[in-house]
Amino acid sequence: MGIIDRARVYSPWLYHLHCGGCNGCDIETLAALAPRFDAERFGIQLVASPRHADILVTTGCVPKQFIPMVKRVYEQVPEPKVVVAIGGCACGGSLFYEEEPENYAILGSPDLMIPVDVYVPGCAPKPEQIINGIVQGILKLAAKGSSRKRREV
Amino acid sequence: MSVPAKILKQVLSRYSSPMTLKYPSGVDPSKKYSQIPEGLRGVPERDAEKCVGCRACFMVCSGRATRIIDLGDKRTVSIFLFRCTYCAHCQESCPEEALKMTSKFEFTIGEREDKGAYVDTDLEMLRCKSCNTAFLPKKMEKRVFERLQEKMNPLVKEVVLSDYKKLEGYCPECRRARSTNFDTHTKKWLWLEVK
Repeated sequence: MGIIDRARVYSPWLYHLHCGGCNGCDIETLAALAPRFDAERFGIQLVASPRHADILVTTGCVPKQFIPMVKRVYEQVPEPKVVVAIGGCACGGSLFYEEEPENYAILGSPDLMIPVDVYVPGCAPKPEQIINGIVQGILKLAAKGSSRKRREV
Repeated sequence: MSVPAKILKQVLSRYSSPMTLKYPSGVDPSKKYSQIPEGLRGVPERDAEKCVGCRACFMVCSGRATRIIDLGDKRTVSIFLFRCTYCAHCQESCPEEALKMTSKFEFTIGEREDKGAYVDTDLEMLRCKSCNTAFLPKKMEKRVFERLQEKMNPLVKEVVLSDYKKLEGYCPECRRARSTNFDTHTKKWLWLEVK
């Protein structure tokens, strides 16, 4: 493990992607990053561009119009990357997703198109639970290892 | 805590500085999760002995998280926690009070197929005497009979119970086919009026 990989585990940067849904999980996520719950003690920082991020945090179910954007944002995050799905909508589709008959506007959870590493269910999850999920994500990020190894296509 | 003490605490909190909560302990460092309010709704828990598989929780589930899976002799009542919104409708509707919301809120899962994401109960099914299809959990059949006896009108009790013994173990379709043999069948009462 090189010095860059070791540093990444101690300061993982986080990009927050809101796909759809009711906005409740976003409020809880921002509360988790704010000083009262203080996720920065793990070195987590919210960044404005997915190109700078190590962890992609998704909230909400994915509307069909939003599918290309989710794929594009996921591809823009450099390797190694971890995806954390927050909330019932991002985990299983929750209230908005139906199997039969199919919803005309909503595809369902983001794990139907991008690989999700950690699920944080709840409606909405408490900030403590979100921090717990992100810490699980950091552990997976450490296990994924070096950025120099390229994923075989 | 009394009301004046609560007000005093609120007023005093105005003059205290903002603080960061310690992670598992919260406000009170000696206790775990001391910042969690009482009555917080978390993961539902099912008492496997009390549950009879009556589908009441399935009918009211708002997030469609509860599923009933019938596979031959086994009925599985399961809650998929990824879709659960902790609305507690299932707790309200459960006639046997088998479901209870716990205050457990903190859990994360790595995979969708993980066992921790489901709250499952398996029940044995009863098979029909004549057509051999599984139609009702054994527990539910027993419990319905008990409830029937409690609430029955004493005037008709004897007739109904003797009829119940005749139809015991038949599925609804087969019961309908044999319904003319029953003492409570309307045909018999009509016959009396004609006489």
